[in-house]
Amino acid sequence: MWEIGPILRALMRNKVGAVLIAIQMAVTMCIIVNAVHIIVERKALMARESGIDEANSFYITSTGFAPDFNEQVTVQEDLDMLRRLPGVVSAIQINAIPISGGGWSQGLQTEPGAEHDGAYTAVYMVDEQGLKALDVELIAGENFSPTDVRWRERSQSDWPDQTIITKAMAENLFPDLPYQEVVGKTVYINDIEPIIIKGIIDKLQAPWIGWDILENSMLSPEKTLFSSSRYLIRTEPGRMNELMPQVEEMLAESNKGRIIRDPTSMPDTRERSYRSHGAMIKMLTVVMVVLTLVTALGIVGLASFSVNRRRKQIGTRRALGASQGAILRYFMVENFLISSVGVLLGAALTVGLNIYLVQAFSLARIEWYYLPLGMAILWMVGQLAVLGPAKRAADIAPATATRTV
Amino acid sequence: MLTMNNITKVFRTDLVQTYALREFNLNVGEGEFVAVTGPSGSGKTTFLNIAGLLETFDGGSYSLDGEDVSHLNDKARSRFRNEKIGFIFQSFNLIPDLNLFDNVDVPLRYRGFNSSERKRRIEQSLEMVGLANRMKHLPSQLSGGQQQRVAIARALAGEPRFLLADEPTGNLDTKMAHSVMDLLKDINEKGTTIVMVTHDPSLAKQAKRNIYVRDGRVSELHEVAAFAEEESQTTAKASNG
Ligand SMILES: Nc1ncnc2c1ncn2[C@@H]1O[C@H](COP(=O)(O)OP(=O)(O)OP(=O)(O)O)[C@@H](O)[C@H]1O
Ligand SMILES: [Mg+2]
Repeated sequence: MWEIGPILRALMRNKVGAVLIAIQMAVTMCIIVNAVHIIVERKALMARESGIDEANSFYITSTGFAPDFNEQVTVQEDLDMLRRLPGVVSAIQINAIPISGGGWSQGLQTEPGAEHDGAYTAVYMVDEQGLKALDVELIAGENFSPTDVRWRERSQSDWPDQTIITKAMAENLFPDLPYQEVVGKTVYINDIEPIIIKGIIDKLQAPWIGWDILENSMLSPEKTLFSSSRYLIRTEPGRMNELMPQVEEMLAESNKGRIIRDPTSMPDTRERSYRSHGAMIKMLTVVMVVLTLVTALGIVGLASFSVNRRRKQIGTRRALGASQGAILRYFMVENFLISSVGVLLGAALTVGLNIYLVQAFSLARIEWYYLPLGMAILWMVGQLAVLGPAKRAADIAPATATRTV
Repeated sequence: MLTMNNITKVFRTDLVQTYALREFNLNVGEGEFVAVTGPSGSGKTTFLNIAGLLETFDGGSYSLDGEDVSHLNDKARSRFRNEKIGFIFQSFNLIPDLNLFDNVDVPLRYRGFNSSERKRRIEQSLEMVGLANRMKHLPSQLSGGQQQRVAIARALAGEPRFLLADEPTGNLDTKMAHSVMDLLKDINEKGTTIVMVTHDPSLAKQAKRNIYVRDGRVSELHEVAAFAEEESQTTAKASNG
């Protein structure tokens, strides 16, 4: 019924085309599976949440230049103004923006002394409104009080004696303790400076999306006097776009001794930070589609060629009693056999390429089920591609047997 | 057994209509061995194709083995061919990529026989044509006469009621042609009805019955001599023109 034996034996006598197609399918499968794997990984990276209310947050920079510019007064006036502005949920001065690409990091350690190792963390300098502006939830301990917050000069290198850290950071520092018990612990910054952990927040990502400890962040209760300030403004839902120009104008008008620049929304920041990931996904998708098309066309070409070459044989088979279905099946089965060689070879190549990628680019290993899935897809591509030529074969008239020489 | 009444076959190509058969009438009884002759283009192959259900016709009626076959669908026609009709072609039509065993196997697989039944039939029919020892050979490794013997084995392996042959000796030299003819006569002796198109009067002479086709019509010739004469005339005419 399936004629697998004779089809195989006939194939063995016309190997070249079949082998080329099998190799093409193997390479296609190898690249498709690994590309999908990379895409899935990148998508997972892109799906990570920063922890802040991205859709409704933006930031803007204020840089003083006038000789009589008083930064401390300006920051306080700016914050008062911003927090009173209708539509603003909260506004803070902050030294760095999550997932933006630039910021501060520090090491924290549980034992004092340079000989001890620490865990690195991103540092966000915020006041008591930090939690609200960043939209993070305090899950243990307490928030900073206004009196905790100090002013930091540019040259200053010491630290406030309190901090709030993320749950991930707490677990990093004290792997054996439940995070609730980390509240009140003393950790050391700059090797020996003690800091008490005042609170734990659920989630806040560091500025660097490529960091493998992206979830390690600490809040430091301070406002900065670095002559250039960045304000993070969180608006009521849906009002960010309307408030951005308004805030820019208001700040610029209020004080002529500084310039206001770079109002940037968090969605834009995310887009910019993950742009290379997005581009990679697009490129791999194009490669996959093109490769699949080329392979499918190769199959159509080979099958059409072999149908034309075998017209008389097909007519003869029809004369000997093959139904149209039997002829169709012949070419489908033949393609399935070629594909089978292709996908088995493809599975080996896929694993090989993945092992290489794992070693060379520290990519994750592919999940086992990618292989059967890839094989099934290639089998399907093959069957779909051969369908047209196979139907044409089935339409060859039985009389072709007597009418062709 | 085979009854054609007023069969008409028209080939339409663009504006030209060719009547390949017109009011073609023929009755072939069980066990007959009919040789069909006639000038080139007279409709012999068309007749054989219609008889063998390879082609449909435009008018008239045709019944084969007691069944009116004009309204069978493609699937039923395929089944009919497979079970009741054996074909032999002028250029053998063996499948070049398959060895003799697999070639004879082709119609048996469509028939749905199990593998031991197929093996028995393949061996038996190749034995009959004297090629049982070459089963693993490819067609290209055989002479023309041997290839035609394999084709005959393939046609007979399913034990059809009819054997239809379109110039089965057309590509063979005289000696091989006669040995193929002897084989066909043997087969006919054992009960298979044979209709054979041939250009060779000396072979036609050996059939039990001769019919002559001209311009898509049958003219039966009971006297072989008369046929032979006419055949040589048309051949002469053809070569003059
Ligand atoms: N597919 C076709 N399309 C158009 N005309 C055709 C077709 N097949 C056959 N004919 C025409 O039908 C007529 C009968 O052809 P047929 O092949 O039956 O002749 P024949 O007797 O077998 O000739 P020969 O002895 O040369 O084999 C011829 O005029 C031929 O040109
Ligand atoms: Mg002919």
